[in-house]
Amino acid sequence: MVIGWKQTTVLVLGAAVAGLFIAWSGLIGISASTGHWKVTDWFLHWAMRSSVRTAAIGTEVPPFHDGMLPMAAGHFERGCAICHGSPAMPSPAIARGMLPVPPDLKTVIPGWTDAELFQIVQHGVRFTGMPSWPVTEREDEVWAMVAFLRRYPELDAPSYRRLAGHAASSAHEPGRTPETCNDCHAPDQLDRDSLIPRLDGQSQTYLRDSLAAYAEGTRRSGIMAVAIQSLTERERDALALHFAEKSAFDLQTGPPPAQVGRGEQIARFGDPGRRIPACLSCHDRENANPAYPRLSGQPATYLAAQLRLFANARRGGGPYRALMERVAANLDEQDIDAVAGYFFARKPIVVEGASRSGN
Amino acid sequence: MSIHSERKIFGRLQVVLPFLVAGCAGRQSALDPAGQEAAEVYHLSVVMVIGGGIIWLTVIGLLTHACRRRRSAWSEEGAGRLIAWGGVAFPVIVLFALLVYTVWLMPSIRPWLGRAVAEPDRIQVIGEQFWWRVRYPAEEGLAGFETANEIRLPVGERVVFSLRADDVIHSFWIPSLGGKMDMIPGRTNVLSLLPTKTGVFRAPCAEFCGVSHAYMAFSVVVMERNAFDDWRRKQASGNRPEGSKGERLFTHHGCVGCHSVRGTTPIAGLGPDLTHFADRSTVGAGTLANTRKNIERFIRDPSAIKPGAKMPAFDMVPPGDIAAISGYLAGLR
Repeated sequence: MVIGWKQTTVLVLGAAVAGLFIAWSGLIGISASTGHWKVTDWFLHWAMRSSVRTAAIGTEVPPFHDGMLPMAAGHFERGCAICHGSPAMPSPAIARGMLPVPPDLKTVIPGWTDAELFQIVQHGVRFTGMPSWPVTEREDEVWAMVAFLRRYPELDAPSYRRLAGHAASSAHEPGRTPETCNDCHAPDQLDRDSLIPRLDGQSQTYLRDSLAAYAEGTRRSGIMAVAIQSLTERERDALALHFAEKSAFDLQTGPPPAQVGRGEQIARFGDPGRRIPACLSCHDRENANPAYPRLSGQPATYLAAQLRLFANARRGGGPYRALMERVAANLDEQDIDAVAGYFFARKPIVVEGASRSGN
Repeated sequence: MSIHSERKIFGRLQVVLPFLVAGCAGRQSALDPAGQEAAEVYHLSVVMVIGGGIIWLTVIGLLTHACRRRRSAWSEEGAGRLIAWGGVAFPVIVLFALLVYTVWLMPSIRPWLGRAVAEPDRIQVIGEQFWWRVRYPAEEGLAGFETANEIRLPVGERVVFSLRADDVIHSFWIPSLGGKMDMIPGRTNVLSLLPTKTGVFRAPCAEFCGVSHAYMAFSVVVMERNAFDDWRRKQASGNRPEGSKGERLFTHHGCVGCHSVRGTTPIAGLGPDLTHFADRSTVGAGTLANTRKNIERFIRDPSAIKPGAKMPAFDMVPPGDIAAISGYLAGLR
């Protein structure tokens, strides 16, 4: 008998109906407890590895630096360790029941390139429980996480705790939110190279606006979105007040760097020809709008990263955010580094009982 | 066409004509000159229009004559003479006379007079998207100063402008006084003008420079020497701090990052200088009348009034603060 197009059609339609019937009957198990067949497991992993490899083609890897690690470690503790465990908490019990079981990162990370890790962390992996990054426009946060993951295999519990701060050593107890903030933001853990801002010295208005912006999505950050997800508006305002009151910050600042560099030039006088106003006409001055953040003493790397986000209109922020987008777009790379360095060096003089909230 | 309908059209013309002619007078008209250069150009135009009209009528007359049915034929010699005189000699003489006239006019409408004045003694005008930066030179113990969107001149005295641009090509034109001359990035053009009548004139940007080109104008105030000196002195000394709420908020919200009020804030040098702002007739470089309400509108959302304006919207500032800042600017005399 010759198989013609009629027989083929009947065969295909029949197979489709049979497939639908089997799915409808409920005979296919979807429970995580029974696991995959070996061949299914192999196929899914093979497809996933191939997909990530292809997606990573052409991804440009930025340079990594140590300042990326604490920010990523703090987020890892809050967002990733619950499934993947951490050097301080190997093999979390809940995750053992997942299918696929979230891998122990110490063993699998060396098998991926930086670009592939970026793809996985940024976009997640379908059907596995691995979520994508909470926001799409913060590649800089994802790269910090990749830098951290690269170091992950060599971390032991104490060095991990040091990086992730308080969070990795104590439970997230209710009523202890300020300590949780300080896991990452404590000033004594921050240096020039940090991506995390200091909260001391900021006005209540700026802190309140920023927390509201994170909560409402006008300031995009996967890390801060997770960090404040459980806070109510009242709790956010209380936090803003707490940190503003703790501030021992005076408008006086230490002596600026000896030579008037490009950073100081821009900070004090701007560059009118290139449409750059002086930073100090809004920031760190007397009679300043408290919604404008204080910059002196902030980590240079944090400031530079924020300026780059502003320049690409990706930073967002409180109600006044549009002002900085215009300004930052006119700064070039050297300007950004110079001005960030200037403000870091212009450390505020800490005075006991000095001006409080700035309101 | 009947006599009746001809009368009707003429009657209508009598009604409409005064309005049409009225459009030729006023604050922005090259047909109502108030400066020597504009007057020369105006005379040239009048000569051209009248002369051209006479020639046109003559040619049409000849044509009509040639088309008449019953007329005797010209001799070949007569026709040749007509062509030689009317077609060769006459145009050569007329065009040569016009050439001599325009060349003779050129020195007074174009700037090589101005080149004799040194750069520091000229009034610098810099076209920006979409406003005018104006710098007056220092003179006789009075400091030089920067202002914006308004030029004041003493009547009967020759002034020399240095014209520049930093972003795109603009064009400087005061129809009542003279011009126009392009402002070209990377180049300084020099223009000399002699205002002959006092008054307030409007000067539009005369080269398409972006989306708000049509909203880019400045005002020119030609004054008696004494009044000009008073203004000049007042400008050089700036405004005095007044300690008002609006003045405090002007600093508080960072307006001073771009705008200066000389005497009360550091020199910012980005946006238009706002010293003695209340003395200017418009808000937004010739866009709106200078009223408190219009200042408020402009601060709240400049791009709604001038698309593409470099100033960001300040609609997030509490309305009370905007009102106070507007009141402060509206009172900066």
